[in-house]
Amino acid sequence: MNAVAPIQDQARERYRELLAATAPELPGQNLEWLRTQRSEATERFLDKGFPTRKDEAWRYTSLDKLLEQPVTTRAPAVAGLSESDIEGFAISAKPAARLVFVNGVWAPQLSHARGVTDGVQVAGLRAALERMPEQIGYWLGSAAGTAPTSFAALNTALLADGVWIYLPAGVRLSAPIELLYLSSGTDSTLAVSPRNLIVLENGAEATVVEHYASYDAANSFTNSLTEIQLGDAARLEHNRLQDEHPLAAHLSSLFIRQGRASHYRGLGVSLGGTWSRTEYHNRFGQSDARCDLDGLYVAGDRQLTDFHLDIQHAVPGCTSQERFKGILLGRGRAVFDGRIRVEQDAQQTDAFLSNHNLLLSRDAEVDTKPQLEIFADDVKCAHGTTIGQIEPAQMFYLRSRGIPEADARRMLSLGFAAELLADCGVPEFAAHVEGRLQTLLEGDARTSEQQ
Amino acid sequence: MLSIKDLKVTVDGSPILQGLNLQVRPGEVHAIMGPNGSGKSTLAHVLTGREGYQVTGGEVRFEGENLLDLEVEERAHKGLFLALQYPVELPGVNNMVFLREALNAIRSARGETPLDAVQFLKLVREKARAVNIDPELLKRSVNAGFSGGEKKRNEILQMALLEPKLAILDETDSGLDIDALRVVADGVNALRTPERAMIVVTHYQRLLDYIEPDFVHVLAGGRILRSGDKSLALELEEKGYGWITGEAAA
Repeated sequence: MNAVAPIQDQARERYRELLAATAPELPGQNLEWLRTQRSEATERFLDKGFPTRKDEAWRYTSLDKLLEQPVTTRAPAVAGLSESDIEGFAISAKPAARLVFVNGVWAPQLSHARGVTDGVQVAGLRAALERMPEQIGYWLGSAAGTAPTSFAALNTALLADGVWIYLPAGVRLSAPIELLYLSSGTDSTLAVSPRNLIVLENGAEATVVEHYASYDAANSFTNSLTEIQLGDAARLEHNRLQDEHPLAAHLSSLFIRQGRASHYRGLGVSLGGTWSRTEYHNRFGQSDARCDLDGLYVAGDRQLTDFHLDIQHAVPGCTSQERFKGILLGRGRAVFDGRIRVEQDAQQTDAFLSNHNLLLSRDAEVDTKPQLEIFADDVKCAHGTTIGQIEPAQMFYLRSRGIPEADARRMLSLGFAAELLADCGVPEFAAHVEGRLQTLLEGDARTSEQQ
Repeated sequence: MLSIKDLKVTVDGSPILQGLNLQVRPGEVHAIMGPNGSGKSTLAHVLTGREGYQVTGGEVRFEGENLLDLEVEERAHKGLFLALQYPVELPGVNNMVFLREALNAIRSARGETPLDAVQFLKLVREKARAVNIDPELLKRSVNAGFSGGEKKRNEILQMALLEPKLAILDETDSGLDIDALRVVADGVNALRTPERAMIVVTHYQRLLDYIEPDFVHVLAGGRILRSGDKSLALELEEKGYGWITGEAAA
């Protein structure tokens, strides 16, 4: 055993047992390609082990708390959930489809796809594996590759369910497809590994909302992996909200592949969890594509929120714009590691990256690391980073109009986030996030007053 | 209404106000004039409670209460209002939301019921018309990207909504052309009542052509050197500040 990282090694042994016990129970045992993918991923995961803070991408993020805990994949029974139980989690009033996953398992009785037509497929991945194994086999892993990270390998090793979304060429779906992932509690940490596969063929257009929340006090560990394939001129509006219980641990890995002149537009919001991390991996493989990615995070007292961007311009003429903003409260911590790589052939790249942070407490901490690596000579690239506090002049202005200090702070904090919410393509999503921000900021004001 | 006695204020250890006295009664309009650096803006900011000013002596009473003991927002609740020389931009804070939060905070502090969205909208439209402000500006972020004139008009709109007992206008004429100045002054004049007092702080006499004061005070070296009626302003315009400050030094 490696004496340098005993926690990582102990955890790997625990996960080795877990994987061995879980593997025979996973769906799709009859599919040889799937068994092979899983066992190769298992080997890769056990070979790599969990990252330590010596890994550059994990320098500011300690996994110790998560790795110390006993872990299980056996979810408690949740058969009793009814539609009224999930009403409060709904974001869109009239989605084309709403798929609910409870502890990683698709719950068809809570789901519907009423507004879906024209050969669009929206279903649980497990069900899709049974119905159309060849098609799933064709796409699975096509964006994520051979799982380049430990957690991606772990997701594949435990692959059991998730969402399958497929739009044939030219089909445009304007109402959102809403995905709700609910986790509930157990005594040990419940490992949930949703695998999402979103495929838009040439010229297809869709809006997808991913929402991760806790049904009750859940010390769950969600290790979600979303693969997105956009065909030529396809367009995806993709909004994500991680809003789990403060005890939860959450990792989301996104792998995006864009066809020629395709457009990915998204807002990634992270509010919950004791520890959460979101990784966006986007490699432009074809020219004239565009990626507009915004992000918003709130790290409350004792929360750690981590965002990693890995945007690779490998071909000419692509545009990427990433704007991330964070609000930190109490002893909240945030990490932003944004990398844009422009390769030698990627001329006429237009890339912009910004990260702005608002610290509402002296005890909050942010580590931000924007990186532009440019190997082409005819490009337009810029980045900007700020870490600031509320401007005293703005505070005075609001208070001089009779607005109490706590309300003024909340208004200015919401104002800080407003630009990103105003640009969001799904107004109902923006409104939901704004409401949650209000609640979190009001809660913070109450905590501050009590101290 | 407002009673300032021997007020002494320092900023970063330097004395700015050095024994200022001023009495303001309901309905009166007082102009405070003076050269740059005389302490005009300091007076405006100290009265509203801005940080960074140390009161080292004297007292300020507002309707009998010790004003300097009150928090910034409490002063607003009591009926004090400052129209800023440089209104602050609040990106992302919707002007309508800002105005409603301000009005309802003050109403709540006075024990009045807050206005609901419909009542507020009706009121703010009415006031916007009265001060001749483009209703489109209500939908935008507070002062963000507003022209100088629009910012000043937005200040007057706030004053019209919040209905203060005592309004302090700090260099409201600065940065305005003559047309914008007239619009702003008309807005202010429409808010003159027998109960509401105003302190108009200005460097130039021209604002007083439009907002006619009952009293003019000349502030220099941290003290009021001379007080008079509006003819004092005209005399200053003619002879310059050296006439009074030189006389005081002599």
